[in-house]
Amino acid sequence: MAVSAIGYGQQTFDQEHDHIHPEPDSFIRKYVFSIDHKIIGFQYMITGFLFFVIAGLLAEVIRIQLLTPAGAILKPEVYNGVYTLHGTAMVWMVIIPLVTGGFGNFVMPLQIGARDVAFPWLNMVSFWIFPVSGMLLFASVLVGAPDAGWTEYAPISVQGPPGTNLWCAAIFLIGISSTMTGLNFMVTIAKMRAPGMTWTRMPLFTWATFATALINMVATVALSAALAALFIERVFGVPFFDPAHGGSPILWQHMFWFYSHPAVYIMILPAFGIISEVLPTFARKPIFGYKMIAFSSLSIAILGFAVWAHHMFTSGLAPWLQLPFMLITMVIGIPTGIKIFSWMATLWGGKIHFSPAMLFAVGFLLTFSFGGVTGVFLASVPADLHEHGTYFVVAHFHYVLFGGSVFGIFSGMYYWWPKMTGRLMNEALGKWHFWTTFIGFNGTFLPMHWLGLYGMPRRYASYPAFAALYPQAQFWNDVASGFSFLMASSTLLFFANMLWSFKYGKPAGKNPWGARTLEWMIASPPPYYNFKHIPAVLDNPYYFDKPLPYRNLEDEDTPLEKPVDKPASHRTGAHA
Amino acid sequence: MAVLSTSALNANHGVIEVRYDDVDRAYSVQRDLRLLGFALFLLSDIVLFSMFIFAYLYLRNSVPLWPPVNSLGHQLPRFDLAFATMNSVVLFGSGVTMHFALEAWKRVERSAFFAWLFATIVLGVCFLLGQAYEYHSIAITWAGSTMGATFFTLTGMHGLHVFVGVVYLAILGIQASRGVYTPAKYFGLTAGTLYWHFVDVIWVALFFLFYLM
Repeated sequence: MAVSAIGYGQQTFDQEHDHIHPEPDSFIRKYVFSIDHKIIGFQYMITGFLFFVIAGLLAEVIRIQLLTPAGAILKPEVYNGVYTLHGTAMVWMVIIPLVTGGFGNFVMPLQIGARDVAFPWLNMVSFWIFPVSGMLLFASVLVGAPDAGWTEYAPISVQGPPGTNLWCAAIFLIGISSTMTGLNFMVTIAKMRAPGMTWTRMPLFTWATFATALINMVATVALSAALAALFIERVFGVPFFDPAHGGSPILWQHMFWFYSHPAVYIMILPAFGIISEVLPTFARKPIFGYKMIAFSSLSIAILGFAVWAHHMFTSGLAPWLQLPFMLITMVIGIPTGIKIFSWMATLWGGKIHFSPAMLFAVGFLLTFSFGGVTGVFLASVPADLHEHGTYFVVAHFHYVLFGGSVFGIFSGMYYWWPKMTGRLMNEALGKWHFWTTFIGFNGTFLPMHWLGLYGMPRRYASYPAFAALYPQAQFWNDVASGFSFLMASSTLLFFANMLWSFKYGKPAGKNPWGARTLEWMIASPPPYYNFKHIPAVLDNPYYFDKPLPYRNLEDEDTPLEKPVDKPASHRTGAHA
Repeated sequence: MAVLSTSALNANHGVIEVRYDDVDRAYSVQRDLRLLGFALFLLSDIVLFSMFIFAYLYLRNSVPLWPPVNSLGHQLPRFDLAFATMNSVVLFGSGVTMHFALEAWKRVERSAFFAWLFATIVLGVCFLLGQAYEYHSIAITWAGSTMGATFFTLTGMHGLHVFVGVVYLAILGIQASRGVYTPAKYFGLTAGTLYWHFVDVIWVALFFLFYLM
């Protein structure tokens, strides 16, 4: 038997051994403990948005509290728990699972022309850890919610209420899940691309997912180490961080930020990937600087490991260390700037269609760039000494996390929703959603910049001293709170749009946007096996002026005659 | 045929790689995936140890004297180098026997494979017993000082890895005796060997950091 395969390096493919595996027929295997990457992607999204609602409501509690300088509704100790859970949940239970587990799982295997991820069973385990850890996190409320902020700085965290143990366990578990997802995605992207899809023909979302998986793999374990140390210090009294017993609280900051700075790139790189797909599609132009965008993702991922101490400029870090951390942090602005300018050049002269996905992508460009600029302020040591621990920092990271990651998530949801469900969303409702979110978001977080510069400290349950110092303090806090209510209600429009789409949405067809990456070449929603024939790839997908660079797609529309082969490989796991 | 449908690719882009050496391609694809996955898993494990090693060096450098002084003003004792050297020889010896075990498997010498594997497991258990003895005889405690905290956490994590490795090798031995692996398909054994060597390498670092430094 002639066994042959063409390949570029490792991507080899061979139709003789290409199997389409049977779809499971029980409800449990199909929708609950599924090993299908698309279902797992859905599960991540549903769970992630559920936590998004909870963590968002906690944010509204914070904004209500700050309506008056004395603190409107909560006692300070309760308030501490509220902002800690808000931050923790938003980072680990919402944004990271949505951008890696959600979009990464649903979109990436489709984009590289694969039938599934490399280790589907591991993928299922990764997902099921997520709701468990989320429930552990919120169960901490019952025994005394963690109250040291999402960073849980020692020694406060060492002395914190019992819920802090649950916090450690929850984040440890989600960290394990995140590491396994990273491992899975790295192997998938490195080894399972369709024949002909070289690294420089990979779609940009896949590139971003690869860079993210690299960080997930390496950095998240560092977080696990830090959490394990904190946990055994709290439970067994083993001194790591408590200075009363010879430990060092600064050590916690090093260990925590060695993960948590790369983690901000875990949250933003997939959003970069989403934007890189949406902009060329709705501008009908090839992406500008394909290779530069791809490689800048990787360089951001790598540089991101060398900047963690910029969170610690006020911790007594030696001056000779502050300077390199400041400079490398600013250097990260270069690959990021390359992306921003490439995206702007992509838009330049394009035939732009402002669909909701495109609106969020363009909104992303504005708000994320703004957050990037304030990031350079914070990277600069002299400025940071003044801004550290104020609302300026809060404003900065909400501009990059909400105005960046969450705008990216919304853009991706509008973009891939037809692919996921086979139905279109309501464009008008989507535009309303964008404008209310955009206005609500800027109204909430823009005033925080000057509140912070005037000296309003973050994490305080009340601000009478600051209000005495700065007479407009309450006015601007009320403005922020008012707009935050608008932003929160705008999310209802998004959920309404989903429901509308299920009931009234027009069938989307294969490719409603005229996009060119592989996931749009197959039916919506994609069949269980994704591709009847694994396509061959001739070029990167973004040349809108050329014919599609794929082969082997021709007879996708004819029904599958013999859909099922004996499972022979990873679906059941050939042993050894 | 795949060759026909993708010949355009070959003509356009030159690089053609044909792999005839693997008779069972489905297996070789799976093996490639698992090998990379396993290597990445070991990489992530290295990060885990590195973080605690960083913590150790950080805490060690934050006090003027090492071993540190306890609350009564006495300097803590150093660890017993002679015993640890002996125990290390046992562990490194088990790395050598594991290597021979895998080589024997490749040469289809089943009885030699099982003998070497058994020797590896025995040496692994000896190392663990040695470590238990060391923990028992040592004067410092886990919670008593940063020295105890880092020592017991790091060597304990390593000991846990050795324990998991012993169980893992035993399972591999049972699988091998039941015919799960063949002379051509033995990725499980490769992974087990990699893991065992990895545990050895971690011990080199810990030995240097705690006993020699």
